[in-house]
Amino acid sequence: MQGFPGGAPDPQQLQATMLAIEQACSLIQLHMNPSEAEMVITSLRSSLMPYQACRFILETSQMPNARFQAAGAIGDAAVREWGILTDDNKRSLIIYCLNYVMEHASSPDGYVQSKVSAVAARLLKRGWVEFSDQEKAAIFFEVEQSIRGIHGPNRQFAAINFLETLVSEFSPSTASAMSLPKEFHKQCEYSLEVQFLKDFYCWAQAAVFNTADKILNSTVTIPDERACSAALRLMFQILSWNFKHTVEHESSDAKINSGLRIDTINLKKFERSLVKPGSMWREILISSGHPTWVLNFYTTLRQKYSYDTLWGDSPIAVSCRQLIVQLCSLAGSVFPNDNGDAQIKHLMLILSAVVLWIEPPDVIAASIRNGGSESEFIDGCHALLSMASLTTGSLFDNLLKSIRPYGTVNLLSALTSEAVKSVLNNQSEEETWGIDSLDILLETWNVILGDVDADKSPISVDGALAASSLFKIIVESHLKAAADSAFEDADDTEYFHVSVSKRDEQLALYALIARAAADTTIPFLAQLFSERFARLNQRNGESDPTQTLEELYWLLLVTSHVLTDSGEGETLLIPEALQAGFPNVIEAAQHPVVTLSWSIIIFSRQCLDPGIRAKYFSPRLMEAVIWFLARWVATYLVPLDVSRGKVSREIDSVGTNGPQHSRKLLNSFAWENNQGELVLDFVVLISMLALTIYQGETELQTLTCQKLLATVVRRKHTCTYLVQLDSWRDLTRAFASGRSLLSLSGRLQRSLAETLACAASCIKDPEASAQYLRDLMGPVAGCLVENASRSDLKSVAQQGDVVYMVCCLLERLRGAARATQPRTQKVLFEMGRTVMNPLLTLLEVYKNHSSVVYMILKFVVDFVDGQAVFLDAKETSALVNFCLRLLQIYSSHNIGKVMLSLSSSLRSESQAEKYKDLRALLRLLTNICSKDLVGFLSDCDGEGSPDIAEVIYVGLDIVTPLISLDLLKYPKLSRDYFVLMSHLLEVYPEKVAHLNRDAFTRIIGSLDFGLRNQDSDVVERCLAAVNALASYHFKERLGGRGGLNSQLMESEGSNGKLQESISSHFLRLLLQILLFEDFRLELAGYAADALLPLLFCEQELYQRLVHELLEKQQNPTVKSRLATAFHNLTSSNNLSSSLDRPNRQRFRKNLLSFLADVSGFMQIK
Amino acid sequence: MSDEEHHFESKADAGASKTYPQQAGTIRKNGYIVIKGRPCKVVEVSTSKTGKHGHAKCHFVGIDIFTGKKLEDIVPSSHNCDVPHVNRVEYQLIDISEDGFVSLLTENGSTKDDTRLPTDEALQAQIKSGYDEGKDILLTVMSAMGEEQICAVKEIGGKN
Repeated sequence: MQGFPGGAPDPQQLQATMLAIEQACSLIQLHMNPSEAEMVITSLRSSLMPYQACRFILETSQMPNARFQAAGAIGDAAVREWGILTDDNKRSLIIYCLNYVMEHASSPDGYVQSKVSAVAARLLKRGWVEFSDQEKAAIFFEVEQSIRGIHGPNRQFAAINFLETLVSEFSPSTASAMSLPKEFHKQCEYSLEVQFLKDFYCWAQAAVFNTADKILNSTVTIPDERACSAALRLMFQILSWNFKHTVEHESSDAKINSGLRIDTINLKKFERSLVKPGSMWREILISSGHPTWVLNFYTTLRQKYSYDTLWGDSPIAVSCRQLIVQLCSLAGSVFPNDNGDAQIKHLMLILSAVVLWIEPPDVIAASIRNGGSESEFIDGCHALLSMASLTTGSLFDNLLKSIRPYGTVNLLSALTSEAVKSVLNNQSEEETWGIDSLDILLETWNVILGDVDADKSPISVDGALAASSLFKIIVESHLKAAADSAFEDADDTEYFHVSVSKRDEQLALYALIARAAADTTIPFLAQLFSERFARLNQRNGESDPTQTLEELYWLLLVTSHVLTDSGEGETLLIPEALQAGFPNVIEAAQHPVVTLSWSIIIFSRQCLDPGIRAKYFSPRLMEAVIWFLARWVATYLVPLDVSRGKVSREIDSVGTNGPQHSRKLLNSFAWENNQGELVLDFVVLISMLALTIYQGETELQTLTCQKLLATVVRRKHTCTYLVQLDSWRDLTRAFASGRSLLSLSGRLQRSLAETLACAASCIKDPEASAQYLRDLMGPVAGCLVENASRSDLKSVAQQGDVVYMVCCLLERLRGAARATQPRTQKVLFEMGRTVMNPLLTLLEVYKNHSSVVYMILKFVVDFVDGQAVFLDAKETSALVNFCLRLLQIYSSHNIGKVMLSLSSSLRSESQAEKYKDLRALLRLLTNICSKDLVGFLSDCDGEGSPDIAEVIYVGLDIVTPLISLDLLKYPKLSRDYFVLMSHLLEVYPEKVAHLNRDAFTRIIGSLDFGLRNQDSDVVERCLAAVNALASYHFKERLGGRGGLNSQLMESEGSNGKLQESISSHFLRLLLQILLFEDFRLELAGYAADALLPLLFCEQELYQRLVHELLEKQQNPTVKSRLATAFHNLTSSNNLSSSLDRPNRQRFRKNLLSFLADVSGFMQIK
Repeated sequence: MSDEEHHFESKADAGASKTYPQQAGTIRKNGYIVIKGRPCKVVEVSTSKTGKHGHAKCHFVGIDIFTGKKLEDIVPSSHNCDVPHVNRVEYQLIDISEDGFVSLLTENGSTKDDTRLPTDEALQAQIKSGYDEGKDILLTVMSAMGEEQICAVKEIGGKN
């Protein structure tokens, strides 16, 4: 072929290459020596001008895998060598690939053909900007001819397939890498969208039209059908394009009134988004009746094949339905600006066809259960979701009313109940259609009910009825499932926690449905509760209550969701639907929400009675009770001023009844008649119970500490009441000096201590608050101090129970340290100060107990973190000295130590422990650093305050030798380490000049290591550090000082080891990495920043290196291109020799284009 | 307020008992536990319940700290488990005898001659090579439930 790149082929060599590749491919398939085989294939990809060989393989090899690899090699090599190919070469490669695909359209092994067509698409994109319009038109002319079916269905399919890969190549999310800047991809995307996409769509449309008759008349051949479904798929793919370059209508009031939504809903969960192709597409998508045609086509086919239950899963049916669902999401100016009429008609049209797939729901569900295909059902649900996201609740409901006596919400309700039933009735793993469709349907409900303008268009009466009956079905099905599963063993594994969050998500959506009809569903829940309470009370210990307990468990969960929002970290409000849902209630005692709440709380209170508790308050039921209480207290114990403020304002404007009155009731009932205090008292009592009576129930105790207690303490208005309660005093006393709470696990000790200490900041009187803390933590610290100073410490310390005790105390101290707040900081610092020396003693004694050592370190980390910002110079120096001694002791115990163990798992355990220790140490240094940042802001009093930078360099010097290169493979550790180090070098480069030799070598060594790290964050930090060092060096030298000249580096030069300054060391290293190693383009900016000052410092060396490089090049083309690239790097864009921002920006640009230029032929060593 | 209850309760001579009881629910990963009479390091803890409304049970996977064998046990989480006293003492290495025993210097100046080199050859080599090069070597001996084993080696004043 004319213009095909590569010299005249040598037949023998071609044959040899082919044999090698074929052999490698068969080895890979047999899983024999795959790495070596991959090497062979990679060498083909990265060899110079491999095109003739690839072509030979493509045309002669009998092995499809080899052809596949050859095709891939063409693509990789051409993208790499693009710069040195001639225009003829480029074109002929693309045309060769296209012709190959066309000629082999009917051969088996379709994946080879797809790969070749993907290569053609990739190369076409690579040359998109440089090719003229005529050239492109010539290529597409051929493609269009084939799509029209002129060369038969096989070629038609191949051409459509090519367009498919082309479209996906051009859309940024699926584009393949070309080491070109993002702008290039954007440009291609824009050009394709504006110039070609519509044409492609029309061609595909025409292809479907042409085959449609044959398909409907049953004279169709398999290739025809294949081409037709490919065309439908292409249309779907084009409609999935992320259209950007369109002009949209102004959203007018008229449109709002029409019932179309103006807010955009995020449907990312199901990978759907609105399709807004713009007015250019109106003709082919809307005016021409295209949707009607597609719908009719599908419906006709559907009837024709109604005897075949599997037809719904055939490729043509699947792609056609996908297209329909996508058409459903059309929006924006593709519709005429007629107040949404056209769009509403469009939606109704689609719904009338889609409804056949999903109605009647029970019949269809039954047929799926009997082995029918579920795809229509699921796609139907998707269509409903799309419609819901485009319309308001009432319009959505009305869509169906023109063809049915009921609204869409009714249909949705019926569909959802079928899905719920199917999920709960057969929980076999294989049948997932129930779960899938339930997810989609619940999301649809979420979209309808979560509408921001729900006030303006509340759900209709019919809709509320539908929601209410759906909720009843949901609850009944779940209660039945709960009762049935009550005797199964509960496993709490990691998987369990995943399923809990999934379950919560589902329950929250159920709750949304319940709230849509709160006036019926809340009383319904209350009734279910009272039935079960009565059932438990009637028992006299004979029959097994387990089933009822499990039902109650589920009811408590769902009721919590209905009554409260989860809102992590937000101030919770009483759900709006509940506030607005009971306009006619006059007295609190009659408010369904109020009665339901009190009935649950009164029931829970019975757990305080030991007899009843033993009978039916199982750990699991307690979990639900605690969880309910936490959410309820956070929502309904409304801050008094808020509720009062609201109430007084509203009472002024309205009378004592009406909707505002019932709002007021709901916001204030919980505090009335001292109820609020009673509830809080109960919260403390039940927490105490859970922590002491339910021994070993970790799940329950975790909920108690981290959810319930944390909730009441974190809210100021509940906490101020809490700290005045007798029961709270009992709890703190038990914690400070009793034994009962010592049986909690370590983590819980910590969070309990944190919670209890947090409460101190809610005590108004500062002295009382301090006293409270002293009473709480004094005994803990005191005990540690006293025992650390025992004379027989050495002999008792190693005993297990002593170790356990020490761990408990340390966990508690750490918890308290984490609760540090401005008001409590002083007391806690005093506490910390008393334990400093004892901690050092303990670190010495427990040097072989990794768990104790770790806890000591973690305490200090949290302590420094909490305290650093508050301390004055004297206190800081005490703290810093303590930390340094800690580091020294730790280091003296651990340096050079090798753990011996028979079992590899024990060895890796000890490695992991070391890793955790080191992370803690780095954290500690980082926390100390933060002190210095604050120090900048406040005025330095100077006197006696230690030089933080000095301290950290010393600290780092102690820690660094402990960190082996193996340990740096842990990503978190290496990130922490490099963040700290680069921070130091950036902020205090001047200190580097005074480092001793070992320390200096270690720091530079780690930078060398970091620059080659896999983690781009780490590389980025290291480049920033190099930049800081070099810039400092450069500026110092400009000012006539020595800079970092005193520090010499040994590095591997071209002629053995040599001593050189760090700037030349890094210059060498950076050039090496940029030119010969796999450098990531996204880091180019940072690399430029680091390289620029290095260039300024070491002009001579740079020139020499460049010269050496150029001399080494054999190929004259490459050599001249390289020379130009180097020239442009330093001289284009008016680069001057200063380090100011504009100059740095210019150099960034230069380096980027330099890399784009040379990356093709340099990085393949 | 009294803090008398926080004292360590062990007596100096409590070495007599080889284990002490600890509630199963509080034993964490990386802690120690006795499973089937063997001292183990816990590498995995999971909890489950007998029937949803039953009490929690802990499922432990431990690795024998001396033999490296894997052992498992299930205990109700409110019950007590035996936890071994695991002690580690550092000694300076004086001599390695031909029959595989080492001679160690104790803190009070006497020698301890009843400890074997680890059986694994690689570990043995690590200790021997250091000794042969004339370095000062500290060995850590781990003991629990009447058994002991060398578990770590370190040069005095050594660097990486």
